[in-house]
Amino acid sequence: MNAAVGSLFVFNNQLGISMRRAFDRKTPQRLAPVWMALPLLFLFGCGEGPQADEGGAEDAPQVEMDAEGMMPARRQKAFKKIFHAVPSPIETALLLERSGIRFDANALNPIDKAMGYSTTASQAVNLGIYAGDLSYSVIFNQNQQSVDYLNTCRRLCDGLGVGDLIDGDLIERANSNRDVRDSLVQIVTETFYDLNARFRENGMEEVSGLMAAGGWIEGVYLGTRNLASSTEDLKLRIAEQKMTLDNLIGLIDSYPPTGALTRMKRLLSRLESVYANVKITYNEAAATAAEDGTVVISGGPDVQFDDAALEEIANAVAKIRNLYTQ
Amino acid sequence: MNVMSNAMTAIKKFSLAAFSLLMVLFCASEADAQCRTFTKKRCLPQLEDYVQNDNYNTAVLIPGDEAELELTFFGDRAYRLLVCGHPVLGDLTFQVLDSRGNGIYDSTDKDDNHFDFRVANTQQMTVRVQVPASDAVIEHEGCVSIMVGSKG
Repeated sequence: MNAAVGSLFVFNNQLGISMRRAFDRKTPQRLAPVWMALPLLFLFGCGEGPQADEGGAEDAPQVEMDAEGMMPARRQKAFKKIFHAVPSPIETALLLERSGIRFDANALNPIDKAMGYSTTASQAVNLGIYAGDLSYSVIFNQNQQSVDYLNTCRRLCDGLGVGDLIDGDLIERANSNRDVRDSLVQIVTETFYDLNARFRENGMEEVSGLMAAGGWIEGVYLGTRNLASSTEDLKLRIAEQKMTLDNLIGLIDSYPPTGALTRMKRLLSRLESVYANVKITYNEAAATAAEDGTVVISGGPDVQFDDAALEEIANAVAKIRNLYTQ
Repeated sequence: MNVMSNAMTAIKKFSLAAFSLLMVLFCASEADAQCRTFTKKRCLPQLEDYVQNDNYNTAVLIPGDEAELELTFFGDRAYRLLVCGHPVLGDLTFQVLDSRGNGIYDSTDKDDNHFDFRVANTQQMTVRVQVPASDAVIEHEGCVSIMVGSKG
């Protein structure tokens, strides 16, 4: 099992076993006081203790993890936690903008389709796709469209049970800052950071993985709509997504498999085989100091591709994207 | 009567198992929620003017643990890599490795918990973080967050 499954499982197993043994020692007749204590355990068993606000928590003696993010260790054996990160939709949109792409409203997934996504899997993937469209709109200063897409994300979040993270106040804040790109960028990144965290907290790894995949797919889809008129820089960026696709598949692999994740992985693996026509030679990278003292990392991967390879990637990505947006 | 008694025992055992599972999930969820609070209050501000990546790379670690993050940095862009952990875990160290596993940066013997750099061309890299071992009688666990911000 991948180490990324994490400390919680180690802790869970230990706690589960010790609780089972404790209960096994009790006869059914003796269990009554235990049952009566259960609500108290729920109340005090692993809560935050004193409120997690900074001041109060620091003054009180702590047994449970406090606002500072620490508590006595619940396991002894060290382990290695592995994370896989994929570019955020905002990062991808910035990349597209800097590569000279022109805004194409027709390429976006229409807002009114959101009502038709009724399963958890379709909502999760399309939340990622709409996050891509939202980011693209924000970066290209499409102000009203940005607010509309944020509202659409809110609708899907409602369906996924995390609607409180995109509430009326957030929409209002976005609306008030609609002309300030940096503010909108901050609102979007913070919101999707909170969503990712909440999905993890709630054990919704499937949703988290599908959302990340949807965002990645939409970024590459938007970047490949007008390949014939694309700059060389944009073409290189699209080819380089072979590396982020590798990160994305690693991320999906790190989650417990479900039907929806397995299907997504199968589709991404097919895309990976299309990306085989992009050749990457992994050379040694080196860090040097520029004149202003900045550390610059150069060398590393050398990416080779041709237009036919990109055309094939564009078609393959569009097929996957349309499977989920239809 | 025996059948009834057995059924009641089975129901109770099942309920206890379900309760154990619920408690475990509840505690795990609480720990994650508090890590999010820690990360937002203590770590995020240290990204300063870098735009954060929205990935949630945070875990509860103990002394001796390691964490690893694999990600791609895009060419012609400036990054801040921030390794932010609870002080109870001591001084965390981290290394940045290129796609072939060669060391690019090592924070050992440096005071900073972050590494600022610019990438000339797109790089697939690995960040490896170590929590120092401890010989304390009572070990503590704490949140560790690997954050990436970019600009320019």
